[in-house]
Amino acid sequence: MMVDLSRKSQSFLENLRLYLISSGKEEKEIHSIVEELEDHLIEAEARGKTVDHIVGDSPKEYMKQLSNEMNTNTSSLFKVIMIILFGALSFSILTNAGKDELSYSLLEMIGTVAVSLVLILSIGSVFKYMAAANLSKRKEYALYYLMGMLPIVLFVGLIYLNRLIETPIFTFGRYGTMIAVIVTLGFLIGLSFWSKTWVVLIMLALLVLPDYLLTFIDVQPSTEVVLSSSITFGGIAIYLLLTHRMTKQQSN
Amino acid sequence: MSTTQMLKGIIDGCILAIIHEKEIYGYELAEKLEQYGFDSFSEGTIYPLLLRMQKEELIVSTLKKSTAGPKRKYYSLTQKGEEELQQFISRWSKLQSSVNSVLPLK
Repeated sequence: MMVDLSRKSQSFLENLRLYLISSGKEEKEIHSIVEELEDHLIEAEARGKTVDHIVGDSPKEYMKQLSNEMNTNTSSLFKVIMIILFGALSFSILTNAGKDELSYSLLEMIGTVAVSLVLILSIGSVFKYMAAANLSKRKEYALYYLMGMLPIVLFVGLIYLNRLIETPIFTFGRYGTMIAVIVTLGFLIGLSFWSKTWVVLIMLALLVLPDYLLTFIDVQPSTEVVLSSSITFGGIAIYLLLTHRMTKQQSN
Repeated sequence: MSTTQMLKGIIDGCILAIIHEKEIYGYELAEKLEQYGFDSFSEGTIYPLLLRMQKEELIVSTLKKSTAGPKRKYYSLTQKGEEELQQFISRWSKLQSSVNSVLPLK
């Protein structure tokens, strides 16, 4: 992004990008229209016009107009939902399988899927709302806070509900657990090839493997917790840094 | 009825006519429109229109290097766009003469 663009224009462009992404538009189209508008704004500001002059009275209305003329990429939206949904499920299967035999109650299974879907939908619509509404910083942080709380509240709620209401429990047994793990891993590898991103596998490996491997090494439980979480977060940090570098190189 | 509402059906034809003259990029187009007196709407309005006209295959865009730095998107008419422009011109001249004969001032 050019430095000589006013802050108001920059934040308009960022909000537009966010709005279009959460509306599920094609990545290439989003990039292209944002770049074109950036070019326009730079030239307009150099001649003393403001972003209001370009966008009109209602940025929200303008974003909607643009969005209406763009193709919605349902398959990429579907991809994101699948990745999050099955990522959450696989995480649960792999972490539990590392400790013991798998067993889930009916409520847990349905609840996890339902909670994940509610989370995806609500986070998507909150982002879209925030991009267009032009909120104050305080309200924005309040919304981020609520969004951060939502998964915790929903999952903790599910755990309590699971204790209160008895539903049939499915136990996988030793071989069942092994099969579930193999199916999950196979599924994840397939998903990674299909979506052409290895992020789910790498994140899962970083979350699950340290815990699992450390059970073989004779260390004190407290050391184990520290070791495993520092490997996990250190690994994630390194991974994010590397991908950031790679995308930067690609765009140059 | 506001000017913006009246413009709705007409502005597309005017944009086609301007692009017909020469290949043009977004800012240039907005400026041209303003010069011709279409100053009642905000400049950004052209972009949703350009997106739609591309979808309808009336215009195509090509990226070209600009002197100022980033690549710029230039628009030009397709064959279909040329035809649409000719139709617009004949529709407009008919409409214009009808409106003029209804109105007392000439």
